[in-house]
Amino acid sequence: MIISKLKEAIICFKAGRVTLPYPFKPHDPAENFRGRVTVDAEKCIGCAGCAEVCPSRCIIVTDPSPDKRVIEFFLERCTYCARCAEVCPEDAVTATQEFETATNDTQDMHIKVELFMSTCRRCGRCYEPPTPLDRPMETGMRPPAGGNGNGEG
Amino acid sequence: MTSAELIAKLKERFGASVRGVSEINPNKVRVEVAPDSVAPVCEALYRDYGARFIITAGIDSRPERGCFDVDHVFSLDPDKTFVIVRASVPPDAPSLDSITPRVPAAYWAERELYDVVGVKAEGHPDPRRLIMPDDWPDDVFPLRKDVKHGDWPSLGEENADASYPWKPAPEGTSTVVVGPFFPVLEEPAQLRLYVDGERVIDCDYRGFYNHRGIEKMGDSALTYNEIPFIAERICGICGFIHSSCYCETAEEAMGIRAPRRARYIRSLMLEVERIHSHLLWLGIAGHIIGFDTVLMQAWRVREPIMWLCEKITGNRKTYGMNLVGGVRRDIPQEIQPELLEVVDRIEKETAAIIDAVVGDTVLKARLSGVGVLPEEKARELAVVGPTVRGSNLPLDARVDHPYAAYDEIPPKVITHPDCDNWARVVVRLEETIESIRWIREALKQMPDGPIMASDIPEEIPPEQWGVFVVEAPRGEAIHYVVTGGDNRPARWRVRAPTYQNLQALPYLIAQETIADVPITLGSMDPCFSCTERTEIVNVRSGESKVLDQQELLRLSREATERMRGR
Repeated sequence: MIISKLKEAIICFKAGRVTLPYPFKPHDPAENFRGRVTVDAEKCIGCAGCAEVCPSRCIIVTDPSPDKRVIEFFLERCTYCARCAEVCPEDAVTATQEFETATNDTQDMHIKVELFMSTCRRCGRCYEPPTPLDRPMETGMRPPAGGNGNGEG
Repeated sequence: MTSAELIAKLKERFGASVRGVSEINPNKVRVEVAPDSVAPVCEALYRDYGARFIITAGIDSRPERGCFDVDHVFSLDPDKTFVIVRASVPPDAPSLDSITPRVPAAYWAERELYDVVGVKAEGHPDPRRLIMPDDWPDDVFPLRKDVKHGDWPSLGEENADASYPWKPAPEGTSTVVVGPFFPVLEEPAQLRLYVDGERVIDCDYRGFYNHRGIEKMGDSALTYNEIPFIAERICGICGFIHSSCYCETAEEAMGIRAPRRARYIRSLMLEVERIHSHLLWLGIAGHIIGFDTVLMQAWRVREPIMWLCEKITGNRKTYGMNLVGGVRRDIPQEIQPELLEVVDRIEKETAAIIDAVVGDTVLKARLSGVGVLPEEKARELAVVGPTVRGSNLPLDARVDHPYAAYDEIPPKVITHPDCDNWARVVVRLEETIESIRWIREALKQMPDGPIMASDIPEEIPPEQWGVFVVEAPRGEAIHYVVTGGDNRPARWRVRAPTYQNLQALPYLIAQETIADVPITLGSMDPCFSCTERTEIVNVRSGESKVLDQQELLRLSREATERMRGR
């Protein structure tokens, strides 16, 4: 009994101080960390692959006019799986190291990308497959038939 | 006994009642039987052929075949075989003979069957609600196909005042209400203890307050490759187990297999998860009995492996590693020395904790002979994981139904003959050490190659099925997938290990003192995933006001309405 208590005391003393001074000093996550995602509008080609794979459906694509595409990220619903960054053919979407995302204004968690698209007036499509646009159409990346399936469509 | 022999025996015994057999491989068979002979067939499997009940899945097959399918899943552990007994019942007022009187382990599964699919288990000894709230309408069954995902039933007046029909207290006992906020893991569940003085005579349980409808999302909103991420969120601790189990099951239904390296990576992460889960549990167990040194030290020892997980997967928990067909990230060569170093350190420090704890007579006195679950009772209730291994039964899905890379490196199954809380502590501690041994072995043997299958079919045909169990730290998690159209399953059934273990609680705590209830429950490592009453205190004025059930219900409904309106 006494011996085991001594052993327990030794374990505690040997450990020393293990707590970190966070949040008074910054704490950097690991290199591969999947933090808040960000979009580089210069690189984005508007393929919408990210929207199709997002399990929490927080990326919404709308085409308000034939030559304009709007991609919106509602990151308050994001589950940080970084599938969007993984499938992005142009590496426009990336997972950052940022994890301190607490906010009392949800606008802080919104990203909106507006792109001017050109349409082929003759054939309706401009590329021969395979192109980066075809990659999101691979098995498991396609949307289900009949609506977006989120129960609101 | 092979599955072919078993089916021959069933055919001989039940004749024309055995209508058809569907087989994925000789280890996974589904037997279709006439509805009126389901109960005798299940009894024969359980009593005569040594099968263990796992789960019941109700499937609404009205759109395809105009009937409800009820699948009782059994496991023949020594033969590494799953047998599913299927009965199709007509769609009008569907009902089926209950198997619970003959196979006691089906107690919750059949209550859930009525709650979510609406197939009544005739002759069930306790046909109360299990999953759905008490004020849920009587004619809405959420896993039927005519209920769309996102539909909300109108909560009419009919059940507005409904409350849970608790078991009446046995004569001469007082009732002690534990919960609805549960003391062991600070999660919502309610337990009523019927006590005579300090002794617990009986108890009743009501949980599922946080039922999230994940299965419904799987078969109506998500696609095959999105489900792993939701599956991972079934549990905060064994998330990777659920996503691995789903992926293995879906791969089986699609007729593919993840590449060998991907399977090794899955197994490695599963063992990593077991190590940190067991250390987490050890800390909590210490905390429950007031031994907070164990809590602090076990969690300190655990921390390096969490950081390593972040390095490998991108997050310390909820790894997001699995996809149908393989894994997303490799465990590269350069990180392996660090992994070995971390597990070495954990092994050394865990061994030091074991050395100190095992000799602690106070601790042993507190745990030995408490919460006894004898072998035969453990088999009858079909408990799983360290709970059953602490009752001296060598059940371990990694050996009984090898998945991922366990067919190539089988782990040692740890059992303990004492059948009490102490036995369950020892089993978990030894398993931590065994997991570390397994990780070393696997890193040595890990093959090179791709981590994602290249032969994922373009179209996945409907009506294919797959079933897998994965040994989570707290027991077997099972996933059963039946494929459907629309790039998503027609039914995705999940059973987490605590579902089966909690059913053993009345036996574990009967005749114990109230003070032993928390640790006895804690010894199963329960994982729950509302309130009748709450008290609001105005800190400025010091006034307090107690909200009763009706007021709280009204407030909850208003909040729900506000969210829906958004």
